[in-house]
Amino acid sequence: MLHEYQVVGRKLPSEKDANPRLFRMRLFAPNPVIAKSRFWYFLKKVNKVKKMSGEIVNVSEIFEKKNQVKTYGIWLRYDSRSGTHNMYKEYRQLSRTDAVTNCYQDMAARHRVRFGSVQIIRVAEVKSADVRRPYVKQLIQNDLSFPIPHRITVKESKKNNSTFVAKRPSTF
Amino acid sequence: MVEFKKIVEVGRVVMITYGPDAGKLAVIVDIIDHARALIDGPTTNVARQAMSFKRLNITSMKVANLPRGASSPVVAKRVVDQKVVENFANTSFAKKLAARQARATLNDFDRFKLMIAKKQRRNIINREFAKLKKQN
Amino acid sequence: MAHSPRNSFLKPGIARKSRSKTYGLHALYKKNKAAIAAAKPEGPKTITKTVGGAKNGNTRVIPAVKAPRYYPAEDAPVPKANRKTVGTTTLRKSITPGTVLILLAGRFRGKRVVFLKQLSSGLLLVTGPYKVNGVPLRRVNQAYVVATSTKIELPAVAENIDDAFFQKKAEKKDAERVAAQKDVDDKILAVVKQTPLLKAYLNATFTLTKGQTVHNMKF
Repeated sequence: MLHEYQVVGRKLPSEKDANPRLFRMRLFAPNPVIAKSRFWYFLKKVNKVKKMSGEIVNVSEIFEKKNQVKTYGIWLRYDSRSGTHNMYKEYRQLSRTDAVTNCYQDMAARHRVRFGSVQIIRVAEVKSADVRRPYVKQLIQNDLSFPIPHRITVKESKKNNSTFVAKRPSTF
Repeated sequence: MVEFKKIVEVGRVVMITYGPDAGKLAVIVDIIDHARALIDGPTTNVARQAMSFKRLNITSMKVANLPRGASSPVVAKRVVDQKVVENFANTSFAKKLAARQARATLNDFDRFKLMIAKKQRRNIINREFAKLKKQN
Repeated sequence: MAHSPRNSFLKPGIARKSRSKTYGLHALYKKNKAAIAAAKPEGPKTITKTVGGAKNGNTRVIPAVKAPRYYPAEDAPVPKANRKTVGTTTLRKSITPGTVLILLAGRFRGKRVVFLKQLSSGLLLVTGPYKVNGVPLRRVNQAYVVATSTKIELPAVAENIDDAFFQKKAEKKDAERVAAQKDVDDKILAVVKQTPLLKAYLNATFTLTKGQTVHNMKF
């Protein structure tokens, strides 16, 4: 499960520059340590600041309410075995972190991409009218309803569930 | 084609069958995807949360006039106004659960008394059946 | 001559005959038990003896038991005294006088009986009552019993019955036992009759039917 962090850092003050510019970044990471690591990874690519010559000013987690189902669009860039690709994906989730977690799982499943080689560019809520993916489109239609024709009833706790049973489960 | 009566839709009353909330009623507030829904049970002590259909038992009841993604107070009002919990107790599914619960709480002496009562019932039925058989 | 072992293994570690069965085959109960001799009272540790010779002071105090002439070079190990004591059996909370119990082992397994009291040996004194289901006044270990939640208002019965009542003796005590059983039965039956179906319940044997699992059941 990933968390969203806001990491603020800057170059160490020097005689040349007593008040260096602050850089702020919103990152998805499993913990603050990895968030800081990713912060330096990105910062040294974009700006001429390294961990060696810089400092972290603040790391704080961003929380959000999980009250409504939303469609999230995720713009990302990833390194495959043969090159670098940009991508846009849509997920239906309750929060940004849920969507990004889902995205990483999805990327690993479909493209065998690890966490380190995926860069999340942007995560945004998508309005129903702007939804692009057909899989999501069919879930946002107004009178959505469907039966569950094939189901196995789950027992109240695992304690009462047998691993091996003589009878096949009835599925209706 | 068989008409399905228990359909996943917004407003559908569900019973949770697994986890800490097992046995409680809730309402489908929004459908996330083919496997999960956002459920809420403000009057039945179920927190608003995403839950897999694997853990839900879809009942024959539905809360009417519930907009998609309705907030907890709205859900609570609809559930109370439409007497969902009271009406659920009258469904055959609820009666079956209640009977199962009653059966499980019987002690040894009660089980014996039940056995005797069933014997007596059987006796009456068989006697009447024999009478009718003779007539025809 | 030694005989071949009476017990054999079904599978390594699983004996064909149970512990109690082999005990019976050993026939140890037939052996005469040697009575433990009572400790002799200790005599005086020293004796005063008269001795001859004028210069020897007429008497001399010598130890009663002569010290051995030989001492072991090393101290012989002395086994430690056993400080364990036999504890008293604590009765399960669910078993109180008047509780209906289900016997699980022995000749009367499956019978429902009434618990009367706990004896000083820790065993439970139970009865059917004999008139209802044929279980006489009997001692059982509480481990071989299921306590039900059914209880009867037990009148004052079996106050004189103790472990000695059940001891095997040469002279027959049939008459005494019959009288005690009758007394207990009459008093309990008077109470049992007040609850409908209770007598029939005590008369019925306990069995498990299809789908019943003991750990999920209430008693």
